Amino acid sequence: MDNFNGIEPPMDTVGNIRVNNARIMCNNVFVHYSDKRAIDNLSLDIEAQKVTAFIGPSGCGKSTFLRCLNRMNDTIATCSVTGEILLDNQDIYAPEIDVVPLRARIGMVFQKANPFPKSIFDNVAYGPKIHGLAESKSHLENQVEEALRRAGLWEEVKDRLDQPGTGLSGGQQQRLCIARTIAVSPEIILMDEPCSALDPIATAKIEELIEELSEKYTIVIVTHSMQQAARVSHRTAYFHLGRLIEVGATKELFTSPHHKLTENYITGRFG
Amino acid sequence: MTNTPDNAPKSAILSPQDAEARVRASMATRRNRETRFRMWGIAAIALSMCFLVTLFGTIMSKGIPGFFQYYVTLDVTLDRERLDPAGDLSDQSLFDGDARGLVRDALFSTLQVSGRSNRKAAGKLISLGSDERLRDYVRTHPEQLDSEQSLKFALDDDVDSFLRGFISRDTPESDRRINDKAIGFIDQLQEAGLISYEISDYLFFGSASRNAEMAGIKGAFIGSILTLAVCLSLAFPIGIASALYLEEFAPKNRLTEIIEININNLAAVPSVVFGILGLAIFINIFGLPRSIPLIGGMVLALMTLPTIIISSRAAIRAVPPSIRDGALGIGASKMQTTFHHVLPLALPGMLTGTIIGMAQALGETAPLLMIGMVAFIVDIPGSITDPGTVLPVQIFMWADFAERMFIQKTSSAIMVLLAFLVVMNSFAVWLRKKLERRW
Repeated sequence: MDNFNGIEPPMDTVGNIRVNNARIMCNNVFVHYSDKRAIDNLSLDIEAQKVTAFIGPSGCGKSTFLRCLNRMNDTIATCSVTGEILLDNQDIYAPEIDVVPLRARIGMVFQKANPFPKSIFDNVAYGPKIHGLAESKSHLENQVEEALRRAGLWEEVKDRLDQPGTGLSGGQQQRLCIARTIAVSPEIILMDEPCSALDPIATAKIEELIEELSEKYTIVIVTHSMQQAARVSHRTAYFHLGRLIEVGATKELFTSPHHKLTENYITGRFG
Repeated sequence: MTNTPDNAPKSAILSPQDAEARVRASMATRRNRETRFRMWGIAAIALSMCFLVTLFGTIMSKGIPGFFQYYVTLDVTLDRERLDPAGDLSDQSLFDGDARGLVRDALFSTLQVSGRSNRKAAGKLISLGSDERLRDYVRTHPEQLDSEQSLKFALDDDVDSFLRGFISRDTPESDRRINDKAIGFIDQLQEAGLISYEISDYLFFGSASRNAEMAGIKGAFIGSILTLAVCLSLAFPIGIASALYLEEFAPKNRLTEIIEININNLAAVPSVVFGILGLAIFINIFGLPRSIPLIGGMVLALMTLPTIIISSRAAIRAVPPSIRDGALGIGASKMQTTFHHVLPLALPGMLTGTIIGMAQALGETAPLLMIGMVAFIVDIPGSITDPGTVLPVQIFMWADFAERMFIQKTSSAIMVLLAFLVVMNSFAVWLRKKLERRW
């Protein structure tokens, strides 16, 4: 295995990996599962208050990389991450960093909606409760209401906050999970294929929501659907076999891809 | 079939017609096989049902009569002088009194016996526990002293067996445990309508006794409850904590692997080995007294720990990882994730495992024999440090006694044990239903 401790020059990514207004800066990131390399020397900036989409075929490492951004990979014992992921010029993988406040700042929405088996209210209130964000019961109630409003779910659930969250429809559950994330007041929201299990109408609602949320939050979304990336994101990164092939403004990337692999993928000729 | 690849080059895939013919030809065999398999299944179920019915039939047919026993009603004169010579109703005074003589006198006057040998035969009819029963009566009814009362006394176990027909009149006198004279007295009492067949209070409220008619399960029952309480309060928290740590917190390395293998192996260790361990460690090294429910519970806790840990780990593993991700993803710490989300979801499964372990512990005899819980203890244990025994050991001891009446009592005790188990399991099912969140 070659020497990869940041000494190797970044792999040739087509497009500008740096942006002016970067919220997260990743430099020479490598991820391994045991001996298997999942992310190969990746450098990329995540732009603040914008939606960045990661696209690419299955197994290309886009979800793995996303999970690095809030250290959710820590739960996998065999996973090791090297390189720098800087948030406010501080490497989030530095030993002095505690993942608990980090994950409160960088929230995550998962592929499969995973509401807790609790009431709708308790689902959203859980984050503020464990972090001590609410000063009183009414404050907490207001926080829950606002989170649900921002997630576009309030009107649908305001009369049944004590009902189980798992009793909602798939799309509602996913928005509940978004509300749960928002309630902790994160700066960045990571979304791992949030619409892959949803029907087109629920998907449209989530996409609309992502657009609204991008005014307040920095969003990174992994998606299998190129149309979705084209619709919701400002910047798109194309991954292939653990490498970041091309990155650029979404419009540009989809209309005039520079790399052959990117072109093949977005024109559906990938093989 | 007719065409081999040698004489005619042909496609390896059969034509639809050929294939259909072959399928049809094979159908009869297939159907037969299926029918045969079904028959085997039905036969297997029928056989196991047979065994079950026989088991329950035997236990019930022996055990239900064991819940009853024969009593004789006697008019006893509660003579103050003779019963309570010191006049203060103290235990010592009552003990010094002649309760036994009063009961015997009542019996003799009812039967109108005279002569030493007749009295001896008649005296054997009633239980040896009758004097204690009279003393108890006086203790609770001191105002009735110096009056005549109709009181019920248990008959001796041989008389009981005779009345049940286990001892036949036709057997030669020398071969039966009850002689002709006694039979005559019994007939006399029966004609007078003084013998009654009633629910046995000795069985439920009596303690261990060598006299079959007086033997009861109360001591063993209380012993079982105390032992299980100790066992549960040790094994449940330790087991759950071990399972949670191993599943959620422990690094996956060689050491934890070895621990895991050893816990699994521990589940297969014969229970008597745990008894030897308890004897060696708790009694010999720590010097705790033997025969006490505390040690019994500790030994049984050692035995049930693997069961609880294994089933708890399975329950924890069954909690969907997405729930953990959800909690971790909004910044819950490992411990918050575990205690707020994993534990509540795994708890029903953990409880099931615990109840299975407890049921095992309830029925366990061998390890308790090793630590001396087989001792003959008449007193009912009042705390976990009083010597006592447990139901299965009591059953084991009774099964060993020769008296006819102990056979029924053994079956009755087995029924009580089974009822205890059913109650425990229903409680577990209820608790599970209550804790289980269907959403």
